[in-house]
Amino acid sequence: MSATGHTLQLAELRRGDNASFGGKSAALGELIAAGIPVPPGFAVSTSAFRAFVDEAGLGGMIAAEMSRMSPGDVDSVGAASHAISQAMRFAPVPDAVRDEVARRYAELGAEAPVAVRSSALGEDSQDATFAGQQETYLWVRGADHVCDALRDCWVSLYSPPAISYRARLSDGEEPAMGVAVQLMVDAEVSGVLFTCNPVSGDPSMVAVNASWGLGLAVVGGEVTPDDYLVSKVTREVVRAHVHSKDVQYVPDAGGRGAVRVDVPEARRTVACLDAAGLDALVDVAGRIERYFGSHQDVEWAIARDAELPASLFIVQSRPVTAVQRPAGTPAATSAMALVLSAFGAGKKD
Amino acid sequence: MAAPSTVGSFPSPYEIETPPGCEGWEEMYPYYGRFDEERREADEQRFWFWNSMHFPVPMPAFDAICIDTAYQALGSWQNRVFAVPPAMGIDWRCINGYIYISGNPVLDPEKIAERAGHFEKRAGYYYENWDELYGKWRTKMDALIVELGELEVPQLGEYEPDEVAFGDQQTSYVSVLDAYRNALRLHDVMWQHHFEFLLLGYGAYMTFAELCKANLPDIPDQHIAQMVAGLDVLLFRPDAELRRLARLAIDTGVDPAFVEGRSPEEIDAELAQSDAGLAWLAELESVKEPWFHMATGDGLYHTYTSWLDDPRIPYASLIGYVGALKAGENIERPTDHIAQERDRLATEYGALLGDEARQGFDQLLTLSRTVFPYVEEHKFLCDYWFLTSWWNKIREFGDLLVTHGFFEHRDDIFQLSRLEVYSALDELLLTWATGGQPRGPKYWPPIVARRRELLARLGDWTPPPAVGAVPEAVLDPALIMLWGVTTQRVHAWAREQEGGSELTGTAASPGVVEGPARVVKTVGEIGDVRDGEILVCSITSPAWAPIFSKIQAAVTDIGGVMSHAAIVCREYGVPAVVGTGRATSSIKTGQRIRVDGTEGTVTILE
Repeated sequence: MSATGHTLQLAELRRGDNASFGGKSAALGELIAAGIPVPPGFAVSTSAFRAFVDEAGLGGMIAAEMSRMSPGDVDSVGAASHAISQAMRFAPVPDAVRDEVARRYAELGAEAPVAVRSSALGEDSQDATFAGQQETYLWVRGADHVCDALRDCWVSLYSPPAISYRARLSDGEEPAMGVAVQLMVDAEVSGVLFTCNPVSGDPSMVAVNASWGLGLAVVGGEVTPDDYLVSKVTREVVRAHVHSKDVQYVPDAGGRGAVRVDVPEARRTVACLDAAGLDALVDVAGRIERYFGSHQDVEWAIARDAELPASLFIVQSRPVTAVQRPAGTPAATSAMALVLSAFGAGKKD
Repeated sequence: MAAPSTVGSFPSPYEIETPPGCEGWEEMYPYYGRFDEERREADEQRFWFWNSMHFPVPMPAFDAICIDTAYQALGSWQNRVFAVPPAMGIDWRCINGYIYISGNPVLDPEKIAERAGHFEKRAGYYYENWDELYGKWRTKMDALIVELGELEVPQLGEYEPDEVAFGDQQTSYVSVLDAYRNALRLHDVMWQHHFEFLLLGYGAYMTFAELCKANLPDIPDQHIAQMVAGLDVLLFRPDAELRRLARLAIDTGVDPAFVEGRSPEEIDAELAQSDAGLAWLAELESVKEPWFHMATGDGLYHTYTSWLDDPRIPYASLIGYVGALKAGENIERPTDHIAQERDRLATEYGALLGDEARQGFDQLLTLSRTVFPYVEEHKFLCDYWFLTSWWNKIREFGDLLVTHGFFEHRDDIFQLSRLEVYSALDELLLTWATGGQPRGPKYWPPIVARRRELLARLGDWTPPPAVGAVPEAVLDPALIMLWGVTTQRVHAWAREQEGGSELTGTAASPGVVEGPARVVKTVGEIGDVRDGEILVCSITSPAWAPIFSKIQAAVTDIGGVMSHAAIVCREYGVPAVVGTGRATSSIKTGQRIRVDGTEGTVTILE
């Protein structure tokens, strides 16, 4: 990477770039490599964050605040968070970063709406989800606003939960963060899918949660989404629970940001996925699972005014954490022993 | 077994009233088949469920032989031969003509362990030598059917034939009683064969199903069934032959004879007018042996005759198939597709499992595929072919008693218990020998008339799905395997005792439809089913195949995912919910209902 090379196209990233671009961006690069439809975009490296801290001369101040706070003391964490956040918000994004982001942004189209998402180091790993460090800014337009959102993502590194979380498990290393910038999908329907049933652990099922509008409502738990369980083997819908989806996020009428609105009454209890939608999701779930070789937790969106499968986009994929393992069968039992135990004979365990 | 109920309750068997005009129904059944006061304390604490799978309508006195013999046979194999560790056999009682059954559990852990030793040796021997033993079984069963066909019911002449006077032939009173005893003996033997492999066959299948569910908790039952089900099964042959005959009719240009509403005789008469028609009839004749030994129903009753006895059902199928072919529809059973799908499911599910589970999966699937053909084939050979022929053999004794004035109609014999028939024959032979005056001709006809009347009245009464105590858990493998009566099912019945517009059962064939219900309680009502209706019945028989092309969905009172209705509905792509416990008593013909074959629910909409 050149001295000012703070960004790369998402398509150029691979798993190994996790350390410099964060887990989310690296996973998006892998998805693109796997031929999965991902909205185009670019990734901002952790080097941009470091340049930001260095140029604004915030390093000493951050270190001082952090050394003053005690992880167990909520007030001290809050005070440190407030002081660092305030300082960061007033610091400029370095020109080199700003120019590069503007150039990359222009490649996505004039004033194109984008999503700006944090991509923390180690985030989205199989071991843990970095709760509280996943700031996402939707429907951002214009290079200046993208840079503001970029800075907001960096600020989120020092939110109180993020500070506590790091204090609990980390080694005191300097935190850093990558950011992903992606073209927005004007989602009619969006949600989450798991490439297994996370509740029962059944690996033959794809579990889908879906609701109207942008994915925020489902991810944030603001609606009870429609809930589907679909067999990977036969594509049969084994379970379909349609719930009343009362709110949704849609692009703000002014064209900037996403707003929460009520779902029109008549539409709330309408199933938001049909057979074709589920089929496309199960199809892409299988491809993602095969590519990564493990069960994945995937965020997806189906764009308005387009036809499946072209309208389906994957905006995030990460390994499923805490998957339930099916009860399975007792080890080292022969088929005959199992039959005998069904009749109440033989060894049960 | 009994537990304080937290999930609803069943009525006490002692509190159920006799419907008006049905007093004295008990006379039709043996003394031990009642809920009597002597056993009240024990019987009230037991869980009894209505065996509507085998006995959907009130039992005629003679037909009760199928209860006794079947449970003698089931109990012998389960309890005395294989010594299934936690369960002995099945007890039965009768309420208002309907048969309730209850398992006898083994509770003593030492006894269970002792039985487990026998079971492992004996069942293990069967599983290991399955193909050889099943080959022998087929030979025995075929020989039994031949023996039944050859059994002669002697006539009583004024004088004995010369062979008695000049040869060694025995006298007719001995021959008639021998013939009757022999008929009963053949029936005993059939049931012995019937249960020899049945439990073990279901057991292997159930173990495979359990392994699938332990590793793939959400796998639909029907996928498990699809992986195991046989392709070239005897049970499907009769219907396949009808489809072949329908094609032949079109190919040889005799199809105009098959007009909706015509009787078999009218169709035959028209066919007999042309050479092509005669050729078709000749082909039909060649198919009849053995394929028209299909029964018209699935219950163990003399009224379920064969296609040979009542050709209306196969002819209705033929008319339907000819019509469908002419309309350009494909009537073939998609065997290739079923075979491919069966193997694809097995491969794909297998690939999702870890190595250890995979090994068990492969072994159990192989075992299940080895043993399951028996489960499907015994039905044709025992329940249909043998039993329909056997009822006809009993009718020949009915003829003998009609000839001598004891009865008006041959079928009157079924209003007497098997022991009463023995007694009537005894008297007939006594008075025939002595030249005395028989009392039977005056004695039996009023009894026959009264019992016919009783059965008709009892038929209007709706039995509760279960009586007695609600069990904490159902542990009896036979109840679970043969009747699909699981803990969950029983508790759902208990909850539903109060009624309600939603019924739950087993999701047997996926899909959701709404439509008008058609409640079918007896085989005679099959003809009433109209296009687009939802079939609601106690249980279906393979002989009902023709109506599955008409109906939108099927709902049954009893049965599991491997029951006939479930299998056929999956083949026809029609949603089905089986084992609802009370569909025929809760739903009325004409009501709109919604059947959700994916969730296993039935909702009464109006």
